Amino acid sequence: MTTLELIAAALLCLGTFFCLVGGIGLHRMPDFYTRTHAASITDTMGAGLVLVGLMFLCDGQHWTVPVKLGMVLVFVLLTSPTSGHALVKAAAAEGVRWVTGTPPDSSPDAEGSKEEV
Amino acid sequence: MPIELILFLLLFATAVVIARLKDLFAAAMLTGIFSLVSAGLFTLMDAVDVAFTEAAVGAGISTILMLGTLSMTARNEDQQPFRWLPLLVVLITGAVLIIGTLDMPAYGDFQAPAHQHELYAGFIETTREEIEHIPNIVTVILASFRGYDTLGETTVIFTAAIGVFLLLGHRMKHEQEPAPDAQPDDPSEAGNES
Amino acid sequence: MSDAPPSAKDRRPPMRMREKLILRVVSKALIPFILLFALYVQFHGDFGPGGGFQAGVIFAAGLVLYGVIFGLSSLEHVVPPRTVEIGVALGVLLYGGVGVACLVLGAGQEGVGNFLDYNVLGSHGGEGVNAHGQHLGILLVELGVGITVASSMLAIFYMFAERGRPEDDS
Repeated sequence: MTTLELIAAALLCLGTFFCLVGGIGLHRMPDFYTRTHAASITDTMGAGLVLVGLMFLCDGQHWTVPVKLGMVLVFVLLTSPTSGHALVKAAAAEGVRWVTGTPPDSSPDAEGSKEEV
Repeated sequence: MPIELILFLLLFATAVVIARLKDLFAAAMLTGIFSLVSAGLFTLMDAVDVAFTEAAVGAGISTILMLGTLSMTARNEDQQPFRWLPLLVVLITGAVLIIGTLDMPAYGDFQAPAHQHELYAGFIETTREEIEHIPNIVTVILASFRGYDTLGETTVIFTAAIGVFLLLGHRMKHEQEPAPDAQPDDPSEAGNES
Repeated sequence: MSDAPPSAKDRRPPMRMREKLILRVVSKALIPFILLFALYVQFHGDFGPGGGFQAGVIFAAGLVLYGVIFGLSSLEHVVPPRTVEIGVALGVLLYGGVGVACLVLGAGQEGVGNFLDYNVLGSHGGEGVNAHGQHLGILLVELGVGITVASSMLAIFYMFAERGRPEDDS
């Protein structure tokens, strides 16, 4: 295995580990907001590291292949946190209950706990 | 082989959960996941055009249209009593379909009629030798060799849009003009509805 | 229009525009690239995965994203419903028109010039498979498919969204 393949293997394993962490967190977290945080770890760290690892495997292929992977990486890093933000914002406006910590702000009506999702 | 098994099990679990859920918003999201896993399976079978279309349509447009529909109707499905006859029909149909697949050739078999018939071999030969600058044989088959079928598919999509136009009407706010000779205080002239 | 008891969701006013700052900025940055990607998939369908169906769906998805975040009235400013109605039929007309053009161009010669026979579209159409004719025919046909699919998806979204909106959103 060449050096590039070793680096790619390490990055792919790390990315898979983060996906696993996200899955376990999705299962074990007590609250909607913390579960969204766990899911966003899968989206950003997991997918990001897997994509970077794949970029190291493009040895002997056309130069557009790692460029396309890089563009997919940029797109994923832009849209996944935004969708997590949109989820949490919609839940806060709906009044989904939180378990610990300070309540989320910017909700037009602070009706408190409505339902546990 | 193992990864296809895992994906098929995931498909099966998602389908069972969709059928059993009463919260329709969650079911709409799960149909998006179903389409995405199907797209993954198609990619594993080397059918990337089909996977592309399935991911775009199933996980993209179909989810937003379902959510749009659900915003107009109820959120939770009503409780339905358990009935034996539909379950029996579904089981018998599923068994018949599975018995039907036992006669099919193995996946990727070289001796299968789909690979041996000279018509389909002719597609590959013609594309490779005579239409050199269109390497994607799927597009060539779709648009040129089987162009009639694609015309039919496009007409089907056109018909679907026409059906939605007819059923849901449009531009209700333009129909509020009262008739010029209607009595202004006639209670039965309720204006236009729907 | 539904007679369920009013929940907290119905009493809450729709989210104002200044509360959606992150969504607005990110979607404004990304929607041009989504539409550009749809065009790329449309015209690159000869060389890689793609073609009319995928491109139409991606184009419609980009416009639906704009409509969801910035309001349906803004989307109707950009793509009026009349344009969508015309587009739905225009794609099928283009597809059928290519077929009829093949009929007309191959009229004098026998054996060629069937409906959707692209070989007569080339410069010296006639014998055998003409690569230029095939390329032109496939390009026009996929363009027709893309136009119809994008317009149909947008039309269905318009129908659902106009039906479900109670009053004008800010």
